[in-house]
Amino acid sequence: MSTRFIHRGTLLALIAASLVAAAPAFAAVPPVNATLEPSQIALGESAQLTITSSDRGMDPPQLPHVPGLELRIVGQSQRIQIINGRTLASSSFIVRVTPQTVGIFTIPDVAPNGEPLVLRVTPPGGTAQSGKFSGSGAPGVGGSGASGIRMVADGAAFVRLVLPKRDIYVGESVPVDIEVGLRDGFARPNALPTLVGGDFTLNNLSHQPEQARRAIDGKPYTVLTWHSVVAAVKPGKFSLSVESPLTVRIRTAPQRDSMIEDLLGDPFGQNIFGASITKDITATSPSSELTVLELPTEGRPPDFSGAVGSFKIAGDVSSNAAAAGDPLTLRMHVTGSGNFDRVDSAMLEHLDQWKTYPPKSSFKASDALGLKGEKIFEQPLIASKPGTHTLPGLAFSYFDPGTHRYETAHSAPLNVTISPSLADGSLNAPQLPAGAAPSAGPAATASSNPGLRPDHIATEAGTGTLVPLYLQPRYLAIPSLLALTFAGSWLGLRRRMSGSSNVLGGRKRGASKDINRVLNDMETAARTGDAASFFTLARAALEAGRGGDSDDIRRFLALADEVNYAGLRPTHEEFQRWLQFMRDAFQRDELSGGKLS
Amino acid sequence: MKSRAPLAWIAWLIAGFLCLACRTHAAAAEERVYSASALYNSANAYARAGKPGLAVLNYERASLLAPDDPDVDANLRFVRESAHVAAQPRRWIDPLVTVARPAVVAWLGVAGVVLIGASLLAGHLAPRRRRTRRAALIVGVALVGFTVSNGLVLWPKLHEAVILTAAAPARASPVPMGDPLFVLPEAETVRITAEHDDFLLVRTRAGRSGWVSRANLAPVVPRR
Repeated sequence: MSTRFIHRGTLLALIAASLVAAAPAFAAVPPVNATLEPSQIALGESAQLTITSSDRGMDPPQLPHVPGLELRIVGQSQRIQIINGRTLASSSFIVRVTPQTVGIFTIPDVAPNGEPLVLRVTPPGGTAQSGKFSGSGAPGVGGSGASGIRMVADGAAFVRLVLPKRDIYVGESVPVDIEVGLRDGFARPNALPTLVGGDFTLNNLSHQPEQARRAIDGKPYTVLTWHSVVAAVKPGKFSLSVESPLTVRIRTAPQRDSMIEDLLGDPFGQNIFGASITKDITATSPSSELTVLELPTEGRPPDFSGAVGSFKIAGDVSSNAAAAGDPLTLRMHVTGSGNFDRVDSAMLEHLDQWKTYPPKSSFKASDALGLKGEKIFEQPLIASKPGTHTLPGLAFSYFDPGTHRYETAHSAPLNVTISPSLADGSLNAPQLPAGAAPSAGPAATASSNPGLRPDHIATEAGTGTLVPLYLQPRYLAIPSLLALTFAGSWLGLRRRMSGSSNVLGGRKRGASKDINRVLNDMETAARTGDAASFFTLARAALEAGRGGDSDDIRRFLALADEVNYAGLRPTHEEFQRWLQFMRDAFQRDELSGGKLS
Repeated sequence: MKSRAPLAWIAWLIAGFLCLACRTHAAAAEERVYSASALYNSANAYARAGKPGLAVLNYERASLLAPDDPDVDANLRFVRESAHVAAQPRRWIDPLVTVARPAVVAWLGVAGVVLIGASLLAGHLAPRRRRTRRAALIVGVALVGFTVSNGLVLWPKLHEAVILTAAAPARASPVPMGDPLFVLPEAETVRITAEHDDFLLVRTRAGRSGWVSRANLAPVVPRR
């Protein structure tokens, strides 16, 4: 027991002694070291700043504010080392340094000795060293990986130029593929890729490239592929590359977090925790060496226009028979593959007994690149003399990169039969005076016809249409309206005449009623023997009628006076006789149109 | 006095219509696009240049405006025969249209309508001159009949076209594919019976029908 106490007491004494001895050391500032790796990076990459202290319980350092740099603590580590029985503890803070722009940056106030750390940031591309934080599982980040692809921007994208593996000739059109791989959710294109360097021409790229999904080292990429054609403008050895403006998201989270996010499928973790930044960069493909050969001068045909490729030609003419003076079209069809923009031909520049005109050309591509297709040259020709003519075969010279020599293609000659012109016959024929009777009947032949009659002197006024006037609607309105007017007038006249006869008939019908009434009253007076009423009615009726001039009427009126003034009393027979007389008188009066009332 | 009022009214109406007709004629003449002489001269120029199709076309157009011009008819026949195109056979009624120009025929028709109408009205207004009225009625009917016959004769020509190219293919359908049914020679006159897009269905004098491209022919009366 006592020994134990002794040992325990000794131990406590030693600890106390050591604490006392170490007291000054605790009171002093522990040594701090800061390192920056690498010291040069490309824009879009990140460097690692490590701040190490021998103090195991070091507080997080106060990071300085450097314009153009983003500093962010992404990790902390502690290390305990036992060297020769001596325990050495240290702690470190890992800071991700992400540049916002290109330049040389100084990070002050990190190391205690006041020595600033310098970070050089270069433009993105193949020249920068790989960033410390650009690993994140991407293969060959910043350099060519196993798949031959160089990733940029933390593995967010890549650009690749696929060239033919052979030497090419000046002016030769060579198909190329431009691939831009975009990590899903991490990168998107801002503009079309462009060729770096002015020694090559690149055909216009489509705004809708081929799209394909491809897994590269286990990560999904959308690969945009442009198929195009490049042509060298001068001979020599060239480094060819393309660059593509992109917008990328760069991780700022610790590497292990990024790896977890990669495993979880990204990119949501970064969005949630805000561990990424967006940047516009220009990604450049690795350079490809290409040797451009000069076209040989030896054996160059004089009509060589710069066409490089493999071509065939064929010729035809619009018609094998024509009249002198008629235009014909000579065509040359150039088919094959190559730089059709340099395919040119003057065709037939001079030909005896023919008048030639400059040809026109048109190109119809049979592939999307315009490398293959058919170019047609059309040349108008006019034969000046009749007869059978032979159009010579056409020739076209080009350089064939397959055989490395100049070739000349030929077409077959063409036979054309030219007949005498109609114009010649008509002009040579005598002309009849204008207005003479035509001798040409239906059975007449051209040989028996004396020829064209001469021109007229144009004196008459023109007209607006060839349709005869009587078939024009505005003319047809005139006779139509005239006919309607006449028809209306005719109908109006008929109606008027019909109306006047109706009035006369009405009047006659009224007079008959009056006569009947008067006769009835007279019969009543005769029955009752009222001679005064009888003769008064009769006198009034006769005086209103037209038959007053007859002798009977005069005698009747005299009798009526005797009845009225002398008191004469007629007998029944006399009443009936004078009643009949009145009936006859009324009937005559009615026939002659007289008016009784 | 009462019986003269309708006659005065009719006279005023006729005078008004004649004024309207004169204005119509003057308005048509103001456009002055086509002239028989100019068309005839153009046709002669085309014939001399060895273009029988255009020559026949212009002769046909000139003959519409001046059917009584013997030069037009003679040159038309000559060019057709030179181009080895069969001439149109003459019908018994064809001389009817060569008597006078269409404008004259048109106004003769108007005069015929006036005579018919006046003679019918005179039957009511002046019933005594029966012979005169009957003669006027017969003349009026004859004039109107002459105008109508003239129109019937010329009507088919308004739907004719002339082949302008050396060999115009006539196809079975209005598409530029396949072998042609037959080939029409230049200066051939055909009748248009239908149209579809860039093709016209034509009928030859021999009775053959086929679709011909508009580029190969031109209608005698241009479409507006």
